[in-house]
Amino acid sequence: MAKYICKRILNSVFTLCIVIFIVFVLLRQMPVEGYFSNFDKMSDTAIEVSLQNMGLTEPVVIQFVHYIGQVLKGDMGVSNRYRRGYSIAAIIAKKAPVSIRIGLISLVISLTAGVILGILMARSSKTRWKLFDKFGTVFIVIAQAVPAAVYCLLIQLYGTKILGVSMLFNESRPSTWILPVISLSIGNIAYYAMWLRRYMVDESNKDYVRFARAKGVNESKIVYRHILRNAIVPLAQYIPQSILLTIAGSIYVENLYSVPGMGGLLIQVIKMQDNTMVQALVLIYASVSILGLLVGDLVMALLDPRIMFTKKEGARQ
Amino acid sequence: MKKFKKVLAVFLSTVMAFSMSACNNSEKSAVKDNSVYRELYSKEVTSMNYLTESGVSSNKICANVVDCLVEYDQYGNIMPSLAESWEHNDDMTEWTFHIRKGVKWVDKNGSAVADVTANDWVSAAVYVNDARNDSDIQYMYNTGAIVRNAQQYYDYTAYLLKAEKLGVSEGKDAVDADGKIVKAVAPVKTEDIGVKAVDDYTLVYTLEQPCPFFLSVLSYTSYMPVYGPFLQEKGSSFGIDNDSILYNGAYILSSFEPQHEHVLAKNQSYWDKDNVLIEKIHEIYNVEGGNIAVRMYQNGEIDCAEISSDLIDSMMKDEATKNIIHRARLDSSFSYFFCFNFDPQFDGIYEPDNWKLAVNNENFRKSIMYGLDRVRALRVSDSYNPENMLNNTITPSDFAAAAGKDYTQYDALKAYTNGDSFDKDKALAARDAAKKELSDAGASFPVKILMPYNPSMTNWGKECQVIEQQLEGLLGNDYIDIIVEAGPETGFLSNVRMSGKYALLKCNWGADYADPQTWSEPFSKGRKYGFWEKSTDDNTAALYNKYTEMVLSAASIYNDDEKRYTAFAEAEAMLIDHAIAVPYSISGSDDYMICRLNPMEGEYAPYGVALWRYKYKKLYDTSMSMEEFQAAYKNWKKERDAVLANKK
Amino acid sequence: MMSIRNAKAAPLEKSLSQQLKSVTDLTAAYENIPENELFEQTDFDKCAAESISDAGYSYWKSTMRAFRKNKAAVLFLGIIVILLVFTFVQPFLPEQRNPKTINDDPVTGVQIINRAPDGEYWFGTNSIGQDLWARTWSGARTSLFIGCFVAAFEAVFGTIVGILWGYCRKLDWFFTEMYNIFDNIPQTLVLILFSYIMRPGVGTIIFALCLTGWLETARFIRNQIIIIRDREYNLASRCMGVSAYRIITKNILPYLVSVIALRMALAIPSAIGSEVFVTYIGIGLPTDIPSLGNLVSDGFALMSQPDMRYQLLFPTALLSIITISFYVIGNAFADAADPKNHV
Repeated sequence: MAKYICKRILNSVFTLCIVIFIVFVLLRQMPVEGYFSNFDKMSDTAIEVSLQNMGLTEPVVIQFVHYIGQVLKGDMGVSNRYRRGYSIAAIIAKKAPVSIRIGLISLVISLTAGVILGILMARSSKTRWKLFDKFGTVFIVIAQAVPAAVYCLLIQLYGTKILGVSMLFNESRPSTWILPVISLSIGNIAYYAMWLRRYMVDESNKDYVRFARAKGVNESKIVYRHILRNAIVPLAQYIPQSILLTIAGSIYVENLYSVPGMGGLLIQVIKMQDNTMVQALVLIYASVSILGLLVGDLVMALLDPRIMFTKKEGARQ
Repeated sequence: MKKFKKVLAVFLSTVMAFSMSACNNSEKSAVKDNSVYRELYSKEVTSMNYLTESGVSSNKICANVVDCLVEYDQYGNIMPSLAESWEHNDDMTEWTFHIRKGVKWVDKNGSAVADVTANDWVSAAVYVNDARNDSDIQYMYNTGAIVRNAQQYYDYTAYLLKAEKLGVSEGKDAVDADGKIVKAVAPVKTEDIGVKAVDDYTLVYTLEQPCPFFLSVLSYTSYMPVYGPFLQEKGSSFGIDNDSILYNGAYILSSFEPQHEHVLAKNQSYWDKDNVLIEKIHEIYNVEGGNIAVRMYQNGEIDCAEISSDLIDSMMKDEATKNIIHRARLDSSFSYFFCFNFDPQFDGIYEPDNWKLAVNNENFRKSIMYGLDRVRALRVSDSYNPENMLNNTITPSDFAAAAGKDYTQYDALKAYTNGDSFDKDKALAARDAAKKELSDAGASFPVKILMPYNPSMTNWGKECQVIEQQLEGLLGNDYIDIIVEAGPETGFLSNVRMSGKYALLKCNWGADYADPQTWSEPFSKGRKYGFWEKSTDDNTAALYNKYTEMVLSAASIYNDDEKRYTAFAEAEAMLIDHAIAVPYSISGSDDYMICRLNPMEGEYAPYGVALWRYKYKKLYDTSMSMEEFQAAYKNWKKERDAVLANKK
Repeated sequence: MMSIRNAKAAPLEKSLSQQLKSVTDLTAAYENIPENELFEQTDFDKCAAESISDAGYSYWKSTMRAFRKNKAAVLFLGIIVILLVFTFVQPFLPEQRNPKTINDDPVTGVQIINRAPDGEYWFGTNSIGQDLWARTWSGARTSLFIGCFVAAFEAVFGTIVGILWGYCRKLDWFFTEMYNIFDNIPQTLVLILFSYIMRPGVGTIIFALCLTGWLETARFIRNQIIIIRDREYNLASRCMGVSAYRIITKNILPYLVSVIALRMALAIPSAIGSEVFVTYIGIGLPTDIPSLGNLVSDGFALMSQPDMRYQLLFPTALLSIITISFYVIGNAFADAADPKNHV
């Protein structure tokens, strides 16, 4: 296993380089005009000089080598357009914690609520009236069907009225955390509940479950010991990545509530053509998501010992 | 399972504790009063380096924290600011300014760092014109008013940069990677630049050519002063946050949290403290302002909410809002006009050769000009009162005045200004004439007219659809076929207008200084607007030559404003007479607002940064209604006319 | 009342009990028939003994039967079919307006801007006077086209990659890294770049959505396969030398039919959702092409005024109906796909 992990990590470093290189090359295909806010009125010389100062006139490969050298030294450089001349590390250090904090709270809430709702729905789907199942389905369906931007705005417009709190997020006032966290959680609750219900319903039809029931094992033991443990495995793979990617924030919620986090930052800097920022963010997000995938696989193998990533003695491919 | 629960519980409690600890130092919100003005902003400042940045959001802050040599009153008259007085020589090439004594540079805490002296303008000029500093607005030293040796110094430093990069020693030509020759530029010393401090309080600008409007150039950020030693100390980090600039204006940027908030606090050591009426300005970042600002205003959380024109009708019917909505003062700093492309470079499927025939036919151009129902098209941007946005000449009204008269009321332009180019009968007559002439010339019908738009601009696409259907409906599908096409969101200018990939395009131009000359620039050579200088048609070429001549001779008149304006008005009238371009509108998409400020107060100048200054502005208890605004606006115009007439 | 009912019931009951009696006495009818007429001797057939009776069970038929039992799902299936048909038929119906035509007031000649829904304009008009009824259906057409195309690509390509990624250990590293690469190149960048090179349009959007759309499906299926690929029965099959193709198609995929069905059912709505998202961040289809994304984002900008919400309501409602239908159908199908639920 250790060997497998090492190999994956080594591969990942290589992948990371490829990702950065592709993004690097793609960025250099963007139109020159995008680097200037006053393109129309600037002289050709001014544009040329400016491009040279930004280091964009050199061959891409040389630029890339420079960049990698700089990153290896632990320096992500300064922003070009988003905040001209300001250290990227400092920008991210300020924004990331805000998104992570809100994201983690919301993740805990949505996992808890999603798992509970999923279990209740799965259990009730075997009962006569399927009451919980029906209510849960209505909730899931609504959360899925209404565009996130729309329900987030509705929650903000009416939620602030009902709760009597400020429209915008303010880190120092806990009451302003409530609505952003709720808006952020709704979609995830629906997602977890939907899939957990599906996996549990599938699992509860298995022979061993029927056998256990026939044997007279009590129902809640069946659900929690057997069904849930098996059903949660495919979901568990996503949890590490979800935790790590809270760093990316949420665009809708952060836009509406003015949360000074990372939500939509990547999109924003891509549109502004701030190359150094895009590269830094892609580097961070890619590392995080690659790591998340790896840890997710490990968690999956941990929860279900039957899952093997390495070749077992005697097993044929 | 138990273990899982435990882990979960521990995890949950840590997260909660973590978040709670962040919540402890709660702060009470500001008390509602008339000394703090709060508003939302949606575009973040990229840098506070006012010597290099041209972005509106950056300029909005800089306008309030750094003063220029001159400022404006509410009618657009130039008033002394950091220059107490000034004089110029007879041919208007040498301008001497007497700097106000005792003005301090202060840091973000308000403690004094140094005195403001004439040297600060010299430092600014040297910095802006040094290619190493990448200034977006260096061109202001070389447009209209040409500061002696400024461009030469820029070219020299640019050459040095390139030579250094290519490893060529100074004074030699070099060849860059693309095989282009980089010519050596003769050395220019910083002392050669035409900005000099005679003593600490006397500043002299030397210009290449006589320039009667030089004072109006001075309110651009590249002409703002900077404290040299501080600039040197900060180096490349000058202006990256509120610690790295110095303040001498009405406000100090006391808090700067990008994507969160800006706080501008009144500068207690400001030289003209009594005219700064709002104590604190609190700007809060939010990009969804269009959806939540009105509610926030009603909650008392902000004092100004911009309203999108789509919502105006609905809000004017809404009891809660109808009495507090008003308009902004008309903004004449930008002019929009339709350009015909005389040198089409678009795809063969849009028949560029056929278009060339058509566009060089004056009757064809006129049929479009008379046929375009501008009010109808503008209803997309302003459904409440589209006539407000109409602009009947290339130069907007209320832009510049001389001899007691607004430029657009000069004889040559008067008829256009007070009329409307839309005229069905004339359009149809022109169409019939054009049809005949063009079929004789061998053109095929319908003429394909490629009309691109930038999809990232609100409403432009919709406007194009309106125009397409209106023009085709009026002139007939058998005559023209307008093809509306979305251009790329990024690089639109360079891909569409500048590369000539359009037939008919809405273009715009922003004023650089207070003189009609600035509006002649889009039609001068190399500006990449309509490319009429490249036309192969004799008539068009003759028109172009005539126009260029008229502009040149108008520009050379510097000692008589009335004469100068008359000459420019005649040149501009010629453009419209021959339908080289179709005047369309002034700018303003989100011009309606609920705001506790009086839009008529504060400095007025349809160029530069004066419009964004909070100095002289006062916060009222409620927002004006539309009627109150109309009355105030009328009154303002009347007073302005009176002031202009007095100046004569 | 009761007495009348009793009176009527009494004779009925009587006749019933008589009938019943005759049925229970059936054996009596055969009592007198000789034994050789009752039974017939047959020879032992070796072939017939080898054959196994399948009781006429067919997996897909049973699935369909189970599915049909779910009334809600059948209803939504009907809705989606009607919707699809109507979307394509609508422009050919009489008295339909062109979605791009700007409607003028016949009296004043001014555009009919932001008219609330009424008898003439069923869904109202938008900010330049275009008929929202026509635009909503035209938008649905565009978005469904994009959605179906992207979902089909996602289903086919995603499933294939997912299976290979999950099942072949040797290819695990390759697909993992491929996934990582595609997952981490920002979609926004690709979309902006392509609309710069190819001009914004339906093709650009489809391309950009396809480029990243398959990732989640592939990863999802891969995870499912990893969970079951080393189960005992698969190991046994492998030991017996069953080909990988057969193991995948006969052992693994049937096991996953339910989850894959749900996933696929959500693919079309989620592709439309992606279109809405890219419009929200300002790089969607140009405004002159109606699509649900454009309509929703136009309506979203007007949402703060309650009397303008109709502009958001109709496209969002249509989007919701599509999503809900697919979700319910997908879930019902997944329930029905489990053979244990067939009995």
